[in-house]
Amino acid sequence: MVIADPHPTTWASLAVEAGRKDNLYILPVATQFECKGSRVASNRSLQWGEQIVKPVFESKDDLEVIHLMAKKFGFADKMFKNIKLESNLPDAEDVLREMNRGSWSTGYCGQSPERLKAHMKNQAKFDMLTTRAPKNDPEVGGDYYGLPWPCWGSPEVKHPGTPLLYNTNLAVMDGGGTFRPRFGIEREEKLPDGTTRKVSLLADGSYSKDSEIQDGYPEFTLASLKKLGWDKDLTEAEMATINRVNSANPDAVSWSLDLSGGIQRVALMHGCVPYGNGKARMNAFGLPDPIPVHREPIYTPRVDLVSKYPTLPDAKQFRMPNIGFSVQKAAVEKGIAKQFPLILSSGRLVEYEGGGEETRTNPWLAELQQDMFIEISPSDAADRGIKDGGWVWVTGAESNSKAKMKALVTERVGRGVAWMPFHFGGWFAGRDLRGNYPQGTDPIVLGESANTITTYGYDPATGMQEPKVTLCQIAAA
Amino acid sequence: MARMKFLCDADRCIECNACVTACKNEHEVPWGINRRRVVTINDGKPGERSVSMACMHCTDAPCAAVCPVNCFYTTADGVVLHSKDLCIGCGYCFYACPFGAPQYPKVGNFGSRGKMDKCTFCAGGPEADGSREEYEKYGANRLAEGKLPLCAEMCSTKSLLAGDGEIIAQIYKERVMKRGYGSGAWGWKTAYRETIES
Repeated sequence: MVIADPHPTTWASLAVEAGRKDNLYILPVATQFECKGSRVASNRSLQWGEQIVKPVFESKDDLEVIHLMAKKFGFADKMFKNIKLESNLPDAEDVLREMNRGSWSTGYCGQSPERLKAHMKNQAKFDMLTTRAPKNDPEVGGDYYGLPWPCWGSPEVKHPGTPLLYNTNLAVMDGGGTFRPRFGIEREEKLPDGTTRKVSLLADGSYSKDSEIQDGYPEFTLASLKKLGWDKDLTEAEMATINRVNSANPDAVSWSLDLSGGIQRVALMHGCVPYGNGKARMNAFGLPDPIPVHREPIYTPRVDLVSKYPTLPDAKQFRMPNIGFSVQKAAVEKGIAKQFPLILSSGRLVEYEGGGEETRTNPWLAELQQDMFIEISPSDAADRGIKDGGWVWVTGAESNSKAKMKALVTERVGRGVAWMPFHFGGWFAGRDLRGNYPQGTDPIVLGESANTITTYGYDPATGMQEPKVTLCQIAAA
Repeated sequence: MARMKFLCDADRCIECNACVTACKNEHEVPWGINRRRVVTINDGKPGERSVSMACMHCTDAPCAAVCPVNCFYTTADGVVLHSKDLCIGCGYCFYACPFGAPQYPKVGNFGSRGKMDKCTFCAGGPEADGSREEYEKYGANRLAEGKLPLCAEMCSTKSLLAGDGEIIAQIYKERVMKRGYGSGAWGWKTAYRETIES
């Protein structure tokens, strides 16, 4: 077990508790303040961060960790062939350039370190509402802050980034976009009389502003450029690269495989989105439920609804079995809902983040939330003799799980429902594991982890686990 | 000269505690002392409201009126400050304050009180502006650097406003005209003997 984190995580304390003596490594990894490089946010925009302080103690930059690992596996020379190294630390600028070179298919190609640094330097020029810089600025003119991907083409194309993925009111070179025809260009549809017909999945008469193709179109390839007569816009150097990418069949080289970026550049030049222009998909054909239907959770208090709305049958998904159906059936047969009558969901506190190791170690934040707790409604609390602020045992539907925490009696949760935050760790089944942390690394606040109580369940299409909702019982401690 | 005031717009406060955290970090306020805190009423019920509270830097401050050693003084900006060299930790100001602002570190057995600590509107104390002595006793002096209190600067919803009373009243009035009066400029009648009507 290897834990690579700025703080020893809950897992470290649990592994010690489980008696693991060997093969447990805690690698101190530098925080963002101790390293430089690009950072991407969930709005798809990037920022350049500078190193504020040198890594403390033995902490290593993530990039260095990856490099040392590649070295041990014996392929560092190949992996870092385009990246400068300063002793073992890869150059952050080169790392982003390497990502730009390899990420044509997601439009993560135009955000060079130079452009991002220019954004940091010119932050004040970007409009607070549109996030766009004035068009006449010499360095960042017309850019959206952080060049949200897709930022098409090479950095020299100066695509401004795409703050909204679908916006046909703007030209592509102004950050507009269309739906990506990602699921083929046509599909077979069954009609009520039993016959079938082919339906186009390309857009019908809808296109982004200034597009020279005023209809739907598939993704761009050299073949499609030839058909449009646009291949003459490719430079000799771009053409040479396309021929090198697939010398047997250069026509098949697409916008996402063309390492020269030429196909993207030419598509943009004609006002088109490199990935094509398709219809939005409301009927998600190919997924287990193409149109969502109600399915009872695996652990449900409404057992009467399970036969009518069961979860999907057991199946092997990705490389793993998903036995949700069997678990749901067994839960009904064992009468789990009688033993554990409360619906339990988990969520966030504003003071803490994620598993909470970092924020529970910060004194200013730790002081604001000093105890793990569970919210319970006044009527459920009264039934169980639970007082606000008193200790309770929460028990879960699997593995005889139990956790000790404080009760917050509140009308915020309805009768039959309980809620707890998922930022705590370092206690297990009522025991404080503070002694299991290496000296001086224990967070200020410890508490039971919500995941001690959560139960089985995986999404069939993504494999996402179900840590948000289950059943539980609560008793005064 | 500006008359500095605080205004917490309870219709906007989301109880994120960013103001509390910013204050603690900026002034290195120890665990257990809260110069600023967020108070939530009707927690978990319809009509729940939160308001961020600290010293309001009152006009004719009642703390100053009851202080037996006269340690309080009001600056030209209308900020109510005190001298920790004069304070004897008697606790009278705590009883007089309508906002629960004064805080006392525990300094000995039987919960005996140390010298009072409270919000300085990020304006330090009687020592020289920006001096080490000032920082150690009262925290940062942002006002002397031309900056406003960090709590309001950090407020994620711009619920907490700090600055020239006339300017923040104007901002609040504009909100009131758009959305209605809501829960009002909480504490203004008590602190400043006035209120904001549209």
